[in-house]
Amino acid sequence: MSGRSSESGIRLQPVYRPADVRELDYENDLGDPGSYPYTRGRRLETDGGKWIHRELSGEGDPRRSNEQLKDLLSKGQTGLDVIGDAPTMALIDADHPFAEHSVGTQGVSLCTGADYTTLFDGLPLGEVSFSASLSPAFGIAGFYGAARAHGLDPKTLRGSVVNAPFFCEDCGYATQSPFELRLRLSADAIEFCSVEMPKFHSFLEDTYFISDGGLNAVEEMALGFVEIRYVVRELLRRGVDIDRFAPRIAILVNCSMDVFETVAKIRATRRLYARMMKEEFGAKDPRSMAVNIASHTSGLSLTAQQPINNVVRGTVQAMALAMAGVQAMEISTFDEAFRTPSAAAHEVGLRTQQIIALESNMSHVNDPLGGSYFIETLTDEMERRIDTMLHEIEAMGDPAALSDNGWFRKLFTDAMSRYARQIDDGSRPKVGLNVFRVPEAEDTLLRDESEAKIEPARQRVEELREYRAARDDSAWRESLRALHAAAGREGENLIRHLITAAECGATMGESSGVLREAYGAPYDPFGLLESPLAV
Amino acid sequence: MTRARILIAVVGLDQHEVGAMSIAHALREAGMEVVYIGRFNLPPAIVKAAMEEGVDLIGLSAHSWEYLHYIDEILRGLRESGLNTPVVLGGSVITPSDEKTLLAKGVAAAFGPSSTMDQAVAVISELVGHERCR
Repeated sequence: MSGRSSESGIRLQPVYRPADVRELDYENDLGDPGSYPYTRGRRLETDGGKWIHRELSGEGDPRRSNEQLKDLLSKGQTGLDVIGDAPTMALIDADHPFAEHSVGTQGVSLCTGADYTTLFDGLPLGEVSFSASLSPAFGIAGFYGAARAHGLDPKTLRGSVVNAPFFCEDCGYATQSPFELRLRLSADAIEFCSVEMPKFHSFLEDTYFISDGGLNAVEEMALGFVEIRYVVRELLRRGVDIDRFAPRIAILVNCSMDVFETVAKIRATRRLYARMMKEEFGAKDPRSMAVNIASHTSGLSLTAQQPINNVVRGTVQAMALAMAGVQAMEISTFDEAFRTPSAAAHEVGLRTQQIIALESNMSHVNDPLGGSYFIETLTDEMERRIDTMLHEIEAMGDPAALSDNGWFRKLFTDAMSRYARQIDDGSRPKVGLNVFRVPEAEDTLLRDESEAKIEPARQRVEELREYRAARDDSAWRESLRALHAAAGREGENLIRHLITAAECGATMGESSGVLREAYGAPYDPFGLLESPLAV
Repeated sequence: MTRARILIAVVGLDQHEVGAMSIAHALREAGMEVVYIGRFNLPPAIVKAAMEEGVDLIGLSAHSWEYLHYIDEILRGLRESGLNTPVVLGGSVITPSDEKTLLAKGVAAAFGPSSTMDQAVAVISELVGHERCR
């Protein structure tokens, strides 16, 4: 029997009927928005359309990124989000020999405490949240230091930081650090924030970046839950009470072109999460159970061909997210296939959100699709599949071992091959790419904007040299020794030491290097630099 | 005739491996031998691998603009090592004008976002077939 399937392979009926949802129990399975199990929404919103409107930013040096953020705020963005450039994500400094051609081209270059201070310059951090795709320990240490430098109480800082000890090495944010170190830094960051930055979401489970190589929605959330559960267990093992840190867990999910599957995925995730927190981890605080969900629309779903079509894709995805009731949105921009977003592309992304929020009335009602025979059936099926897969993975043994022996990596690479095959054989239609292609010579609309490149921020190399020359030689070295020693002591929180190291002038590359050494890995993953502890 | 041997590498610090792994897989399916040296390769490592592995073609994956800054050094390194191994580049960030620039520098072929996997495999097959029969 022929028929359609959702993107993750769920067979879809041509129509859904009351009989399909006859077992649905409103009280126990749905609840109102803002009521356990939060399927219909984290909160009952009375003022719709107020998800955080933001665009992922960061380019060049901290000064340039600061200007970029101010520009976006002036265009109506209501939250901030930056990603580090390739060297920053790899935890190497901008003057590392490997870094020279990629400094500032795919994100912001952040190497020193002073860099974070510059990044924060003049931003209304009392009013807007600041999220970051950065190594969590360094991001949090950097934010803490920058807040203090600007006379802000870190306890008032809102925002989030990506925390992905399992998947970063395989999904594009490899820091080439051992798993034990990554886990410790993640947990230290969460524990530190639970006291020192209690309004900050120190554990943003980013299922976007792990899935945008081709994982489907079920695989995406199963892996996300595996990671959340592992990190939660680690914190409980450390003796931190669940309600002390769980309210500051959040999830950044992907948004594919499958509108209804995305809505169902988010609803299923809220329900699964709430039940897990209450029944498995014993959470009592409703804020521990009502998970905060943000979303970044899929870059993989966009095309280099006919960039203007990506504006349409972003719109479709934003509508899905508005209906799903997310807390924050980032629309991947029309030039995504080529570059880190241009100002024009950023603006279109923001306007997309603003038009949906202000003109469409889509957010006037909470969970507008709730009660749909189709959506409730799909939500149940998504939940069942995610739950099954996550338990299958946990049944295979220690997820840390799976991370080490390449099991997750194989999942990612199989998904990448699967996606490429679907595009090649046309089973996944992509307008402009495998259907309705336009000759390259005629595909000119928005081409100049999309293909414009930015030069690496080479001045950073000289800046760092001057920075190193100007700092007090004993202070930074001592701070690195202390950091290294602390890393050798179990149960000591490393964030304080990272903050001190930054204050004393140590760079991120140096701090991360001595941490690697403390865990038996080379100071420099590329074997080109010598450890300052060697002298 | 022995199977063609292809070196596939991701250049520079960029971590996107999707393209490299896809083409490696497709080339293996097409009956070629692939030596995949993964991410984080600077020009010296690529030249060294080409020499040591005795490959018939070098395929470089580009998902960031770093390749534009490294390609001259790679081509020079190969020449200075006495290798005339053809070099091809593939990646979604390669624009039509980048392609022209690369061909002018001596790259044998460049596959931007409009190229399909089949096209890339066909061009590569032709390039190595040509080499083997010399």
